[in-house]
Amino acid sequence: MAEIRAKPTWLHAPAIRSILISIGFASLIALPALIGKSWLNITIEILIMALAACSLNLMLGYTGLVSFGPAGLYAVGAYTTAILLARFKMNIVPAMIAAPIMAAIVGWAVGWVCVRRTKVYFALLTLAFSQIIWTIIFEWYAVTGGDNGIISIPTPEFFFSIVNSYYFCLAVVGCCIFTLWRIVNSPFGRTLQAIRENPGRVEFIGVNLKRYQLAAFILSSTFLGIAGSLYCVFSDSAFPDFAHWTKSTDMLVVCLLGGLYRFSGPLVGSAIYTILAKTLSKHTMHWNLILGVAIVLLVLLMRNGVMGFLSERLSRKKQARPCA
Amino acid sequence: MTLEAALGQVLSGISLGMVWFLIAAGLSIIFGTLKILNLAHGSIYMLGGFLCYQVTSAFSHVPGVFWLALLVAPLVTALVGGCIEILLLRRIYGLDMIYQYLLTFGLILIVGEVCKILWGAGYNTVAVPWPLNGTVNLFALSFPKYNLFLIGMGVLVFVGLRVLIGATSLGAVVRAVTHNREIAGALGINVPGVYTGVFMLGCWLAGLAGTLTPPMSVVALGADLSVIIDCFIIVVIGGLGSISGAFLGSIILGLTTAFGLYIIPKLAVAFGFILMIIVLIIRPRGLMGVSD
Amino acid sequence: MLLETRGLRKSFGGLMAVLEVDLQVDHKEIVSIIGPNGAGKSTLFNLITGHIPVDRGEVHFKGKDITRLAPYEISRLGIGRSFQKLNIFPRLSAFQNIQVALFSAKGLNRRLFSSAENSLSEEVEEILENLGLADRSGAPGGLLAHGDQKRLELGIVLALNPELLLLDEPTQGMSAGETSQTTELIYGLVKKRRMGLAFVEHDMKVVFGISDRIYVMHQGTMIFCGSPEEVKSNEEVRNIYLGKGKRRVA
Repeated sequence: MAEIRAKPTWLHAPAIRSILISIGFASLIALPALIGKSWLNITIEILIMALAACSLNLMLGYTGLVSFGPAGLYAVGAYTTAILLARFKMNIVPAMIAAPIMAAIVGWAVGWVCVRRTKVYFALLTLAFSQIIWTIIFEWYAVTGGDNGIISIPTPEFFFSIVNSYYFCLAVVGCCIFTLWRIVNSPFGRTLQAIRENPGRVEFIGVNLKRYQLAAFILSSTFLGIAGSLYCVFSDSAFPDFAHWTKSTDMLVVCLLGGLYRFSGPLVGSAIYTILAKTLSKHTMHWNLILGVAIVLLVLLMRNGVMGFLSERLSRKKQARPCA
Repeated sequence: MTLEAALGQVLSGISLGMVWFLIAAGLSIIFGTLKILNLAHGSIYMLGGFLCYQVTSAFSHVPGVFWLALLVAPLVTALVGGCIEILLLRRIYGLDMIYQYLLTFGLILIVGEVCKILWGAGYNTVAVPWPLNGTVNLFALSFPKYNLFLIGMGVLVFVGLRVLIGATSLGAVVRAVTHNREIAGALGINVPGVYTGVFMLGCWLAGLAGTLTPPMSVVALGADLSVIIDCFIIVVIGGLGSISGAFLGSIILGLTTAFGLYIIPKLAVAFGFILMIIVLIIRPRGLMGVSD
Repeated sequence: MLLETRGLRKSFGGLMAVLEVDLQVDHKEIVSIIGPNGAGKSTLFNLITGHIPVDRGEVHFKGKDITRLAPYEISRLGIGRSFQKLNIFPRLSAFQNIQVALFSAKGLNRRLFSSAENSLSEEVEEILENLGLADRSGAPGGLLAHGDQKRLELGIVLALNPELLLLDEPTQGMSAGETSQTTELIYGLVKKRRMGLAFVEHDMKVVFGISDRIYVMHQGTMIFCGSPEEVKSNEEVRNIYLGKGKRRVA
């Protein structure tokens, strides 16, 4: 288990937080005026990955369920929208709404099986299911285009402008992350955290463990589906690799990088990871090596992620702590 | 399907399974004793393949160079494994599974990239060594001698491992540590040393598998990812920590894949995962594993 | 009768952990269970609360057969249980530990969109006050001193407002002062709220101090049940604690 740290008070003081969030929000809205197109593209990718990682973290950091297969649900969302737009020529609104619904249904089925088991067996089950999803996508040529994927997906003219796409993304991701924020700070969210802290104990406070774990799984899947759907619309394409277990690992790395136990962790992690991936991979042929070394160092030295690290540093500066 | 074709599939499936067994056995022992899911195990296998290529091409004028490679490559991978265990894994024992998963994933990236730097991104081949080239006639069918050799090696290693772990005092030490790390330590057993030794043994096995594969296929990047998932499936089916389980699981997966490819090629890939799910639901400790 | 077990039996492999145990606890009654380590006391609690399945026998709570119910269902019916080994939520603050139990007790834990930040704070503070932990409500549970953690554990159970309390070594590891404080708290609550209490203890002062009846367990069976005086003067009980007995095998 990650070490217990006293919750720092100043980073979380309401006044400071509101200021930081307001600044953050204002910059996000003003962004298109400040940066160029390619950076705007990168920002959209950051936003989508942030949503995906945040959704994963609902299961991972908040409920303590380590899933090796979030990419499967992400791909379900992406392909649902892709297929509806490309094959059924549906209007974009229902095509996008269908994605989280489909992801929730698949998440329900997969999750129901996976929560029957715990820890490493749970994780292996999630891996197996996401690889089955990958296989279905890869082999079902007629519907999913197989390993060619689905490309040149017809999206409304509105999205031809990168600025429009950006604002749309910002709006959707913003709403979703806000919703996730409300969820983790609700009584339900507290119960999930209690499950993470001591799954054995919660049954003795009247909580049906498996039902809550499944609920977390389904909620997580739903938002992963939205993220996948957004990426499909943004990139006008969908590929089987969206479901591959290495994509899942990307999401896990993002969560770890930012910090599993803070809501802002996945958001920060996504920004850092995406920017580094996009910029460094252009300048070097050995991005994989750098990433690999970075992950190893992260696990060895900075297990609580960037946000965890910062909180520790800042809380050490503050003198009075509530208790020993 | 004719009897000949069926037998052909059976042998093909089993020889495929034997290579998997060598990798899966290592993975299984490592999980059983060190309680670590080593994702990088496939990378060690791939490294073994590249080392085999390196030795056979560097010393191609030496007769029987393949056998030299068979000796050298696994030793090198074992050493690499030892370094990994001492420098990295020792710091993460007892931590949450996600850290082990991600650290070993990081190793996949590192080893993969190093192989790419050293040997390039293309295909490399290794010739089938004398006297194993050609086919032999069994039951009125011709089978590649090399495949039979592989099956033989698999069985040999299986027996060897069983004897080593089950019947030697060294094996008893490993079993003690697997069973209860604290008590073993209290009895004066050098637990960290055993951990390193077991990990090195696992890597030696993976390197051996990697060396044995090239003559019947190619040496290329990507083997690390494709093989690790299959081995996870085998280890789950057989039972995490059980060598016999890994053997049985390898044969099952080998046969399922061989027949699956024949019957429903499109979904053959998914067979393994479906099996894995079924086993995890009905009997999580696998066919021969110990309950946790 | 609040709680009644009939002929409970549980064996693990060849070992008979609990054999033919009949236990009864009524409202406002304080019953303690004593016995050497390994006597099966915690196993008994685990059987009653559904943590492990019963081999044979029945558990009745307020007349209803609860033998095969899941732990969370039993908990909802009104049985609160604390554990021998500390079992709190380490990274949640003391406040949140109690709060999450209250959410569950009031059926509020399904609420997805209301803020939990200061929800039910009055009730939580009151409970923390009773436990003497009000000044440490913001501290993570795992960083509290051992005795405080034990009391937090108790608080989680009490927050559920159960009718029956099953406490497994509630004062273990506490100083003399903390022990008497905790004991007074438990005693007062039980009598005030008409709860039934069955607790396992090794601290004989506590046992003889507040028990109405004492059950003595040895190697899985109840070898004696009686008032504190009867227990003190019983020959067999003295032998158990001072002499040797034979291990029983299933």
